[in-house]
Amino acid sequence: MTPLLQFVDVSFFYEQRAVLENVSFCVEQGECAALIGPNGIGKTTLLRLAAGVLACSVGSVSLAGRRLETLPRAEAAQFVALVPQRFEVPFDFTVQQIVEQGRTPYLGFFAGLTRQDRRAVERALELANVTSLRNRIFNELSGGERQRVKIALGLAQEPRLLLLDEPTQNLDLGRQLELLDCLRALKDEGVTILAAMHDLQLIPGTFSSVLLLEPDQEVRKGRPQDILRADVLERAFDCPPRRHPKLVDKLVGENPALLEKTP
Amino acid sequence: METEIVEKIDSGSAARDDRRIGLSDHAFFLLILLVLLVAVVVVLVLSMGMGASKIGVREVLGSLLDWHRSGGTNSVILFEIRLPRVLASALVGAALSVAGLLFQGLFRNPMADPYVIGSSGGAALGAGIGLFFLPRFSFLGFGATAAMGFVGSVATIALVYWLARIGGRVSVVTLLLAGFAVSTMLSYSTYFLVVLDDNFGLRTRVLASWLTGVIAVPRWSQLAVTGVMIGCGLICCFPLARRLNTLALGDDYARQVGVHVEKTHVAIILTGSLITAAAVSLGGVISFVGLIVPHMARLVLGPDHVRLLPVAAIAGAIFLVLADTLARTAMAPSEIPVGLLTAFIGGPFFLYLLRRTRREYAL
Repeated sequence: MTPLLQFVDVSFFYEQRAVLENVSFCVEQGECAALIGPNGIGKTTLLRLAAGVLACSVGSVSLAGRRLETLPRAEAAQFVALVPQRFEVPFDFTVQQIVEQGRTPYLGFFAGLTRQDRRAVERALELANVTSLRNRIFNELSGGERQRVKIALGLAQEPRLLLLDEPTQNLDLGRQLELLDCLRALKDEGVTILAAMHDLQLIPGTFSSVLLLEPDQEVRKGRPQDILRADVLERAFDCPPRRHPKLVDKLVGENPALLEKTP
Repeated sequence: METEIVEKIDSGSAARDDRRIGLSDHAFFLLILLVLLVAVVVVLVLSMGMGASKIGVREVLGSLLDWHRSGGTNSVILFEIRLPRVLASALVGAALSVAGLLFQGLFRNPMADPYVIGSSGGAALGAGIGLFFLPRFSFLGFGATAAMGFVGSVATIALVYWLARIGGRVSVVTLLLAGFAVSTMLSYSTYFLVVLDDNFGLRTRVLASWLTGVIAVPRWSQLAVTGVMIGCGLICCFPLARRLNTLALGDDYARQVGVHVEKTHVAIILTGSLITAAAVSLGGVISFVGLIVPHMARLVLGPDHVRLLPVAAIAGAIFLVLADTLARTAMAPSEIPVGLLTAFIGGPFFLYLLRRTRREYAL
C-alpha cells in the first residue's frame, strides 16, 4: 500500500548549512504519529517540507505516491494541512473568519465561499470543539482556545494529512489533555496526523507511532513503547551522564497502564 | 466560575450584537454600504452647490438630470468647475483609501499608508523636475507637475521593489525600509531643486502647494484617464481582498494553503502604487486619507478585506469631497490646500490610534 507521506533521502540546506540530511521515513493512512527529537534537529523544517511550504534541496517528498513538487499548490493544500506553532494575527479577525481561510485552496480567484465550503467550516469548528467561540475575536482567546482554533483552521482544508507543530506548547495540563482528546477524536474520524511533540509524556495513549530524529542518525520509527525507552532517548537527546531523567522508566513505573493503552 | 465565564462570553456576544444593531454581519455590511452609497450622492450634489457662488440643490439636480440642455453661468460653473472638481476629489479619496487598505493588509499593520513604500518622495521629485525643467510639457490635459509626479511615483516603486528583491523574494520589511530610505533621499532632492530656484518664486510656491495636496479643477480628459486607471485598479482589488485576508495570517500560512505569495505581493504593490500615482496626478500628495479611512472602516466593520474594500472606497470619496468642499469654502475666495485639512483631522486621529492601540503591531 502506498504510504500517505513519504520522505526519500530528503536533505534541506539553508544558506549552505544542512538543516536536515538524508531523512527517509513514511507515514501510513490512519496513523497518528508523533515526531520527536532534540531542539534544533529540524522538526519544524520537516513539517514545512511535508506541507510544501519549503522545497527540499535533495531527495523527494511524496503524498500518496505523487511527488509534492509536481502537485499544484492548491491541490497539495487540499491534501495536507499544517497547523503552525506560532500564529500572529494583526487584525481583530473572529474565529469564524480565521477558520474560513482554510477553504482558500478550494476557492477560485474571484469566487467566494460556497455552501460546501461553509459546511466544511462548520464541521471543522465542530471537530475542534470551537463552535461556541465562532464570534469571538481570535486575539482575545486563551492559549488553549487558540490552539483548538488553529486545529479547526487546518481541518477546514479537509486534509487527508494533518501536520501539527508542537500543539501542546504553552498549554496548562488541563488544556493539554483537552487537546490530546481532540487529536484522538480526529484520529477516530480517519484523519492521519503527524505532530511534532516536545512533551514526551503526552505521547503514550494518543499516538500510534513515534518518529525520532536524532543527530547523524537515520530517522527511527516505531511504536511508542519501542522508542520511548531510556536508552534510546538518552542517546538521542544527549542526556548528561547520571543526571538523565529516566523518563520512560519513570513514566512506565508510575503509569504502566499508559503503554498498555497504546494502539 | 464556569457560570462567570459563560456570562462573560454571553456579554461579549451581546456587545457585538448591539454594535451590529441586531443584524447579521452580512446584513450590517449591506446596510452600511447602502447608507454610504446614498451619502456619496448627497455629498456630491451638496458639494456642487457650495462655493463662491451658491447654487441651490434643486438647480444642481435639475442641471445634472438635464445636462444636455443646460446653459447659463451656473451651468458653466457646475459643469466646467464644480463637477470635475468634486469628481476628482471623490476619485482621489477612493483611490487613496483603497491603496491604504491594500498596504495595511500587505504589511499587516494598520499604520501603513499609500505612500509607505516611497511613492510620495518619487512623486515630489518628479513634480519638481516637471515644474522646474519641463514647464511647457502637457499630455492628455496633464501639466508637467501632474504627469511627472505620476511618473516619479511609479518609477520609485519600481526602484524600491528592485532594491528589496533579494534571491527572488521580496521581504515586506526590506521593502518598507528601502521605501523609507529612497523616499527620504528623493524628498530632500526635491528641496535641492527649491534651493536652486534663485528667488523662491512662484514655482516654489506651486510645488509647496502641490506637495501639501491640492485638488485643482481638472480637465475632462484628465478625469477620464485617471478614472479609468483608478476604476481598473479598484476592480483588480476585489480578488486581492480575499487574498489579503489569507495573507493576514502570515506568508507561510498563505503559501501553505496554495496562495502564490510573491505574485500576490507584486499584484498588491502594483495595484496600490498605480492608483496612488493616479491620485497623486490629480491632487498632489494628500496625507492621512489613506491611513484613517481604512482604519475607521475597520473599526465599524471588522477586518474582512472583502467587505472593507467597497466601504473604504466610498467612505474615502465622501471624506475627501467633504474636506475639499471645506478647503474651498472656509476662507473663500482664498483656498486652503486640502492636504492641510486632512492633516489637521488625520494627525490627531493618528495619534489617538497610537495611544488607543492596546498591543504592539508586529511586521
